[in-house]
Parts: sequence; structure tokens; C-alpha cells
Amino acid sequence: MNMMRKKRMALMLALILGMTVLSPSFVRAAGPLSLYTPYTNIAVTPGESIHYSIDVINNSTDVQSPELSVEGLPEGWEYQLTSGGWSIKEISVLPDESRSVSLDVEVPLKVDRGTYSFRVTAGSAVLPLTVRVTEQGTYKTELTTEQPNMEGHADSSFNYEATIKNRTADEQLYALRAEAPRGWDVRFEADGKTVTSVKVEANADKDIDVEITPPEQVKKGTYQIPITASTSSTSAETTLEVVITGTYDLELTTPNGLLSTDITAGGEKNLTLEVRNTGSADLRDIQLRADTPVNWEVTFEPKTINKLAAGNSTEVTATIKADGEAIAGDYVVNMSATTPEASSDAQFRVTVETSLLWGWFGILIILAVIGGVYYLFRTYGRR
Amino acid sequence: MKNLFDRRDQRPIHPFWVMVQKEISDQIRSWRYLILLGIVVLTCIGSLYTAMMSIRDAVATDETLKSFVFLKLFTVSDPEGTLPPFITFIGFLGPLLGIGLGFDAVNSERNRGTLSRIMAQPIHRDYVINAKFTALLIVISISIFALGFLVMGMGLLAIGIPPTPEEFLRILFFLILSIFYIAFWLNLAILFSVRFRQPATSALASIAVWLFFSVFYSMIVRVIAKAMYPAQATTAGEILSYQKFIQVLFRFSPSQLFSEATTTLLTPSVRTLGPLTMEQIYGAIPSPLPLGQSLILIWPHWTGLIAATMICFAISYVWFMRQEIRSR
Repeated sequence: MNMMRKKRMALMLALILGMTVLSPSFVRAAGPLSLYTPYTNIAVTPGESIHYSIDVINNSTDVQSPELSVEGLPEGWEYQLTSGGWSIKEISVLPDESRSVSLDVEVPLKVDRGTYSFRVTAGSAVLPLTVRVTEQGTYKTELTTEQPNMEGHADSSFNYEATIKNRTADEQLYALRAEAPRGWDVRFEADGKTVTSVKVEANADKDIDVEITPPEQVKKGTYQIPITASTSSTSAETTLEVVITGTYDLELTTPNGLLSTDITAGGEKNLTLEVRNTGSADLRDIQLRADTPVNWEVTFEPKTINKLAAGNSTEVTATIKADGEAIAGDYVVNMSATTPEASSDAQFRVTVETSLLWGWFGILIILAVIGGVYYLFRTYGRR
Repeated sequence: MKNLFDRRDQRPIHPFWVMVQKEISDQIRSWRYLILLGIVVLTCIGSLYTAMMSIRDAVATDETLKSFVFLKLFTVSDPEGTLPPFITFIGFLGPLLGIGLGFDAVNSERNRGTLSRIMAQPIHRDYVINAKFTALLIVISISIFALGFLVMGMGLLAIGIPPTPEEFLRILFFLILSIFYIAFWLNLAILFSVRFRQPATSALASIAVWLFFSVFYSMIVRVIAKAMYPAQATTAGEILSYQKFIQVLFRFSPSQLFSEATTTLLTPSVRTLGPLTMEQIYGAIPSPLPLGQSLILIWPHWTGLIAATMICFAISYVWFMRQEIRSR
């Protein structure tokens, strides 16, 4: 009798099962057990895990101990049934009571977009569940940065924060590379250490710092620096942008670096100066001026430099005219090249020499006197 | 001048150089020369001693001239001023040496009657005065150089710092300048010895001129300067021209020329001797002058001293040649 009843029940169950696929509302047909969960149709993204809380309800007057199982899960999906902190296969429910069972389903990363159905069964009770994967699942790495653009002087360094997201099913060891122009220094740091590769576990994130140092002679402008994190199977790329604001620097010197000269009092002297643009931006309208002792004159040819490109130099001829009253010895002549942005000074030590004109005049006087004495010798000497 | 033509070696010597040799030997053996030289040597050694005592402080206080330590031997005196420095002694006693050697050059020969005996020899008449001058100049040059090198040597022993080539050249030029300066006084003395028959008169006249220029001339110029001081001077130019005029007056004195020239030679930081204007100072770096520039700076002084010496010589030459030489 009991056997017969069981067979009938199995037939019934098969019938119900077939019908539930067509009509889920049919689930809670009367039976000794029924399953209940409030959210039977959930939309998720790939890689997410779904937590169901399922109530197993005993409608009969006997204690029921159904075997719990999950059927119809697509390949690659994993699940776990737990209750009371245990992983379970069966659960016993007292008459007219219910028990709660947790079902965790992990949606894999590599999954196609679509609707997936599976069933939870407890003895004769069947709970059909539907999961809608709203996105096309990926198997890839993401490299992102929140602030990809930075601005600064040529002599500063730029620190970016980037995140590697491993959206693959495996742990990956990423090699970090930067496609920087020549002279640029790009360093990757993870956990405070300079690194060239980082290990990221499956479906985990890793923050890395990217420090970019531009070359010394970098010119003003915007520079794109692509950085990649790659393994043999996957790679990700993002582009960092460095905006160099120009620096203005100027140097005034002579071609051989010698900052001294000599000059005859009242005379003129030509000096070749060199103006160098040591900054990273072009300079315009460089004015040349001189701070001289009183009554000295310094003229420059050219007086103004219209444009001097970054890193270039040009020669200027300075003509120093010393005061005729200048005393012998050293004087300081300050020359400067100025623009509104930058300026440079050069201190020249000018040695003044006395004109030899009066020296020759003195020699003439002495020669005249010697001549006079000689005349006396000739006139009186040989009598 | 008995052994005038006593030829000790076989090679015939020109009569002029025989006279020069004789004159030199007469001078060097004379007590007068020894006494004069003794005074100069003693005072100079005294000043060298004080210089060596105080050179340490002088070098310490004067940073800018520390490369010219050796020259300080000639310019430094002790802070109390007990003894003046070497250059002051040369400037003061050098003329005395010149006068002492030259004041009786011609008139004593004349008074003793030896002049006519020399003239009896077959030599040109101007050989006498030329030989006197040449011989005395050689004696003075030897004395001054000996003195200078003596001071240098003793200084080298005492301070142990050798002179740089430039310092050595500066000292050499200083010695040559001293010779010219003493030669001027020598010629002045010879001039008076030609002019005055009595040696005492010529000696007094020479010393009077020396005293006048060493002591009284500066007083007179100061009196003139005070009288001429432009009280209503409004511009810097007036003051400047006044200063320059006073300086020109001072420079008529040979001792002033000598002291300015020696100061410039032995103190390389001296860059100019006239009054300085602010325009000239602005932008100037306090640095020592190179030797060439120092020489150019005092070239007018050289010119003046040499010309004055030669003019004195020329006048005495003319006077001597025109004088009658009689035997007594």
C-alpha cells in the first residue's frame, strides 16, 4: 500500500515537474512539502553571486526529511546549500513548520547574456528559479585611472593612481609597461615598492601608483603616455596625459665663460656675449642692459633679441667704452639679459689700463733733455 | 790724483775710465763716504728691525695686500712710530748722501790746484766733470743696491717668505728710482761746487736747498693752500681743481715726487695719486695694480726726476766749461 502510494506520488511529481516548466505558479500545489523564496527572477551581472533564502515548508502532519538538490544549473555555475552554518544535503522539518535554507549561486564571469533557469528540489517540492544575465560576460583585464591628466613644471614629477581589475577566472601576473618618449622616466609602484609586474587574483583589484618624471629639457606641451598591463593571455591599456607648463630660464655668459677683460681708459672694447635659453619655453623680447661705472657706456648689438627658442643660444656683441677719467685697476661692469619671465646677470671684471700716450710724452721730454746735453757736449766738450 | 795714468794691467784703458776709477777709489777710501754710508746703513737697519717686529700685525690687519708681504719690509713701521719705514729714510737721507759726495767735487780740486794739473794732461776738458759725475753715480748705485739687497736678504732670513717675481721687480725699480733721486741731489751739489769757489758755501747752499724742499716747502705750500681755499666753492669741480692745483705745487718738490713714486711702487693697492671723484670710485674693485700699470702711473714722476737731474748736470757742465782754470 505504501509502495503503491509512493509510486503514485512519483508519477504525480513527474507530472507536476513537467507542468512547472510551463507554469511556475503551479508550484505551491498541495503536497507534503513546499518551497518558498520571494525573489524567483533576478537580474545579475557576470561574476556576481546570488544569495537565495529558501523556506522549506512542511504541510503534512509528519516530520519530513527531504533531500535537497539543485538541478538544471548551466555549466560553470556553482552553488552551495547551507543552513545553520552547515553545508547540507538534507533537511528535516517538523509538521506545520518551515526551515530556512541558504542557496548561494555564483554566476561565472564568462557567461553569455540571456535567461537561465534552474530548479531547487526538496523531495517532491520543486522551486524553479530564473536568473537573467544582463550583460555579456567577459574574460578580460581592466586598467583604469580616475585622474588621467596632470599638469606641472618640467622639473616636477607626476603621480597617477591606476587600478588593475582582473576579470578573468585565473590569477594573473601582469607585466607593466609604459610607452614613454625617450628621456621620460616611468615607474610603477605597488604597495610602496617599485615593481615591474604585479600579481592579481581572479576577480580582484590591485592599485598601482605610476610616477612619471619628464626629461630635463622637456618642452612645453601635452604628452600622452600609454601604460599597459599584460600577460600572455590578456592585457589592458590606458593612457595618461602629462601637461608640461613651460619653465623660463635664461643665462648670460661669454662663449668661453671668461668674464674679465681689459680696456684702455677712454678706449673701447668689443666683447662677445652669449645668451642661452635654458628654460623649456621660448623667450621673446630679451632686453640687454648694463650697469656700468659712471661715464662708461655699453652698447649691445643687437640691443633686443626678438625670439630665442628653448635650448638655443645666440651671440651678442657688447661694446664697452670706458671713461677717460677712469683710474687704472679693476672695475665691475654688470650686464643683464631680461625678459618679463626671466633674467640673468653677468659680472664682468674690467681691468683699466692707463693710456700710454703721456708715457710717450714723458719719454719725449727725456729725449729732448738728453738731446740738449748732447748738444752741450758737442758745443763745449771737445775744445 | 797722482797715479792718474798708472796702468796696473797691460790693457790700455781709455783715459776717461781711468779718471772714473781713480775718483771711485778716492771716494770709497774717504772718511766722509764711510760716515755717510754708516748713517744710512744704521738707520735703514733700524727701520728694517721695527718693520720685522710689526710686520705680523700689519699683514694680519691688511687682508687685501697679503700677497705682497715682502714689500711691507720697506713700507711698514711700528704702530708707535718710533722709527719711520725704510722708504722714508731713503727719501730723507739719500739726498744727504748725494750732497755729501758732490758738494766739493770741483771746487776742492780747484782750490788744491790739482785741476790745472789734470788739465795739463792730453785729455778733453769735459772729462773732468763727466768722470766726477759718472764715478759718484756708480758709487751711489753700488751703495743703494748693496743696501737694498742687504735689506732683502735680512728680510728673507727674518720672515722666511721669498719675494714673488713681481715683488722683486718692484723693489728693483724702487732702487733704480732711489738712484735717480739721489743723482738729482748729487748733480745739484756738483752744480753748486762749480758755482761757488768755497766748498763750505756750496755745501751750505746744497743743504739749504735740501732743507727747503724737505721741511719748508710743504709748509709754504700749506700756507698758500690755506690762503687760496675757495670758501665760496659751490661745485665739486672747483674743489677738485683747487686740490689738483695744490698737488701740482707739492710736486715741484723732488722729495714729494720721490715719496709718491715709491709709495706707488711699493704699495700695489695705490691706484691713483690725485684726488678721486665718486665717479671714478663707483664700480671699482679694490685690487692691486699690476707692475706695468704702477709704472705708468708714476711715469711722470720718473720723467720729472730724470729731467731735473739732467738739467742740473747740463747747467753745471756749461758753467764748468766756461770757467777759466788758472794754476795757483
